[in-house]
Amino acid sequence: MAAPSSSNPLFFGTRSQEDQNQARQQEQQQQQHFSSMPASSTTPTAAAATQKKKRNLPGTPNPDAEVIALSPKTLMATNRFICEVCNKGFQREQNLQLHRRGHNLPWKLKQKSTKEVKRKVYLCPEPTCVHHEHSRALGDLTGIKKHYSRKHGEKKYKCEKCSKKYAVQSDWKAHSKTCGTREYRCDCGTLFSRRDSFITHRAFCDALAQETARHPPGLSSIGSHLFGNNHMTMNLSQVSTQISSNSMLRLGTAGATATAKLEQLIPSSNNPNSPLFAAQQPPQSISSSPFYMPQDNSNQGYQELQNKPFHHGLMQLPDLHTNANLSFYSSSNTTNSMNDSDQNASNNMSSSSYLMPEHPFNNASGGQGSNIFSGGGNNPGLSSLYSNHHEGQASPHMSATALLQKAAQMGSTTSNTSATILKGLGSGNSSMNGANKFARSFSVNSEHIESSQLQGLMNSLSHSNPSSSMFGGVRLEQQQQQQQQHQLGVTNYGNMDEGSNMNRNFSMGGSDRLTLDFLGVGGGMVRNVGGGFSHRDQQQQGAGLASFEHQKMNSSQGGHNVFGGSKLQ
Amino acid sequence: MMFQDDGSSSVTSSPFQNSPMISLSPGLGSPYPLLKELKSEDRGLYLIHLLLTCATHVATGSLENANLSLDQISHLASPDGDTMQRIASYFAEALADRILKAWPGLYKALHSTKLSLFSEDILVRKIFFEVFPFLKVAFIVTNQAIIEAMEGEKMVHIIDLNAAYPMQWHALLQDLSARPEGPPHLRITGVHPQKEVLDQMAHVLTEEAEKLDIPFQFNPVVSKLDNLDIEQLRVKTGEALAISSILQLHSLLCPVDEPHKRSPLTTMKSNGVNLLRASQIKQSTLGDLLQKDMVNGQSPGADSASSSPQSSAPAVQIDGFLNALWGLSPKVMVVAEQDSNHNGSSLMERLSESLYFYAALFDCLESTLPRSSMERLKLEKFLFGEEVKNIIACEGSSRKERHEKLEKWIQRLDFAGFGSVPLSYYGMLQARRLVQGYSCDGYRIKEENGCVVICWQDRALYSVSAWRCRRMAEVDV
Repeated sequence: MAAPSSSNPLFFGTRSQEDQNQARQQEQQQQQHFSSMPASSTTPTAAAATQKKKRNLPGTPNPDAEVIALSPKTLMATNRFICEVCNKGFQREQNLQLHRRGHNLPWKLKQKSTKEVKRKVYLCPEPTCVHHEHSRALGDLTGIKKHYSRKHGEKKYKCEKCSKKYAVQSDWKAHSKTCGTREYRCDCGTLFSRRDSFITHRAFCDALAQETARHPPGLSSIGSHLFGNNHMTMNLSQVSTQISSNSMLRLGTAGATATAKLEQLIPSSNNPNSPLFAAQQPPQSISSSPFYMPQDNSNQGYQELQNKPFHHGLMQLPDLHTNANLSFYSSSNTTNSMNDSDQNASNNMSSSSYLMPEHPFNNASGGQGSNIFSGGGNNPGLSSLYSNHHEGQASPHMSATALLQKAAQMGSTTSNTSATILKGLGSGNSSMNGANKFARSFSVNSEHIESSQLQGLMNSLSHSNPSSSMFGGVRLEQQQQQQQQHQLGVTNYGNMDEGSNMNRNFSMGGSDRLTLDFLGVGGGMVRNVGGGFSHRDQQQQGAGLASFEHQKMNSSQGGHNVFGGSKLQ
Repeated sequence: MMFQDDGSSSVTSSPFQNSPMISLSPGLGSPYPLLKELKSEDRGLYLIHLLLTCATHVATGSLENANLSLDQISHLASPDGDTMQRIASYFAEALADRILKAWPGLYKALHSTKLSLFSEDILVRKIFFEVFPFLKVAFIVTNQAIIEAMEGEKMVHIIDLNAAYPMQWHALLQDLSARPEGPPHLRITGVHPQKEVLDQMAHVLTEEAEKLDIPFQFNPVVSKLDNLDIEQLRVKTGEALAISSILQLHSLLCPVDEPHKRSPLTTMKSNGVNLLRASQIKQSTLGDLLQKDMVNGQSPGADSASSSPQSSAPAVQIDGFLNALWGLSPKVMVVAEQDSNHNGSSLMERLSESLYFYAALFDCLESTLPRSSMERLKLEKFLFGEEVKNIIACEGSSRKERHEKLEKWIQRLDFAGFGSVPLSYYGMLQARRLVQGYSCDGYRIKEENGCVVICWQDRALYSVSAWRCRRMAEVDV
């Protein structure tokens, strides 16, 4: 006789069939008022319990219904009433009783009771399910069975046509009848008979990108306001250069992306009242992927921007005050907006080409793109990949990532700290893997050393004071460190000329000094950082040490690992 | 060769006394033609070096030297130059910001007239959405996970912890309306600090739902995430709940009562008070505790510099928050996060990690937009630049950009009682296709433990993972 659960204000009665050995049901059992009920002899272990309580929650139907909790096993059993003679199973007890009659076994049919039939509601045995709550119990046994199979059961029935799986056979049957009969049409015109392929297709369908989705007209001015307000002043020349470089003309409607055409078009579209534009409505599409809608909005942004120089302020932004001005959903049928080709132009632009201006980087990316991050070091091809034509700069440009990796690499060859930091922390995808990564990169670096002109320099660096290499300073006492720094510095001076070989990248006369600076400063920093990570006591020593004062002990050990000082010596 | 001989006596312990630095002291006032002529690559390398040098000085409080480094950087960096010049500009600014915070008066005075135009902020985030595939992938994957989890559900409630992008739900509405079993009753609760944003979203979505004839309700919650009242989310029993968190959770990673020793200016109080209440919702069972212990035992001990579930150290805001979410028993929760560890305790750690991360992002931009693009500039300045500034310059509760790696999130969410839901084949496929269709070669989709990781080349940048309430059965049995 356990007290009702305080968390559950509901009154309920529970008849549990079978031994409820599930832990999750013990709680209920404790709360149940057990009373015996005539158990059918064939029911394996029927423990019945009923308890009636009043529901407190308003609006819950059938407050007096008997709540029944069945174990998953019982629920899933198809023929749980088994004849002990022939082992035939029945779904209903009554049927079994009728069957037993044939065996001349004692049988008993339940009489229709004269007193009112109590409504029964069923709980889902899954504790996380909403229908596990008594207030949400389901009204019929079949319903709960199906619910349990659908939501918490294995989906055993698979449609051969579309691979969709169902847990309930009848669902599967219903699906099988209609599968393939319904057509899904993408806005690009492709027809799909199966929903799954349709959805997949829609996620990336190019045509959707240029699809002008329907925009709420009330919001039409918002985007422009946003852009207008934000001093978004993009040069037409920039935009149009970019556009003109696009190959996206393949989409080609009106070919408006070409700069020249754009320039022709826009001045002519200058007048918002021009009938040409007044009637323009973007193609309406109901089911275009909304993911692309924002691009339409952006288009508008771009449109606005493109037009700006031409409009010279003539273009009046629509009345802003009546609208919320935060929308990303600017409408492309802005009253004073562009013509269709213009629209297409910008659609094209944003759909992909805008994101991919013609650029040496991109051109190279197919073949050499993978090299971008591989080298670092002395890969002469690398920098040439990045020449920047946008600014007309002649100087080659290297990606920042590549630079960082190069710096890291240089660092490991020249005991440049900065680089070691970069390497230890940055180059690893995960700082947890830092040690491994580091070890690997170091091995790469040692090859690099050998293959490069740096060898002499490196040797002198590391030989002059063995512990000065990389993280040598980790275990040194302060004085040693200082001394070491000193030596490093001296070494650097000494090898200035030798070292210049390494610096073929540094073209000017002053490059030696630059290099020297790298080495000297870097050399100093290496130890500081290493020391900082491993010996907190030394933190006061020099530059770079105190930064780690807040580091936890284990993290500094971690740092030690990451920096791998011991391995490197 | 010009050495700073005069400085050697005062900075004896500095390693820089021995370094033959090119003298760049402002006193000379020369335009440093030498540096101006540097090639992009060399300049980049030099900038990296200077940044790290400067950071070391900042970390040690050696302001004189930091100042020198910053001065040197200023001659080389430029917010509209090549990629590394741009990066260096923002990192230098962030470092300077950090120094400046040592003088709260100065700092406040200098920032007193700073306008925070949130429309600007929204514009920038819009550009971010458009220019990069990250959010698009996150949305597609999120929606797919929701659609799958909500199959057959008649009452669907979605909580959007960053309700700034109506397009995500716009897409979902359409997917739901195409459901074979018909659309559900849909309720979306949007959380955002700005009312206008929510109004806008309500408007867009209501209209769309009307058009599609989906029973729809929008529930705006004007609140920041860190003082969100869980009650306001109005989760009802009987509805199937989905939670979407796009780049939000990291802002809750700061310790609840972190001592503000490090930065003199972190006077802001931690405002996780409401979360305490929320955390009581969850009734942890013995099984839960056991589970947690197991997690503790198994977790790798390395790399615990940042706050992590297993570090017995300070309670973190997010624990309460995740508990509260767990208490709502969502059918699915999708979490998108920056996939990089910018939550290290030391400045140098954060600097180098974020240098890599943002270098990759800046590289994406370099290959996407021209250098003179205003949009690019805005993205770099108002989004990435601000994030960098927050990572580098802020400490304590004012440091919000506490990005952590996916493995940390997996641990943390697991610890909070969530079980991972591997993203479906279709979800992955859609993500892949989207990136492939991007016609920009550098982006990659990687699958990691059933989660999506979006990379630029080899560098992981953003992750998307799906979760559900771990069933008690798994704990008990």
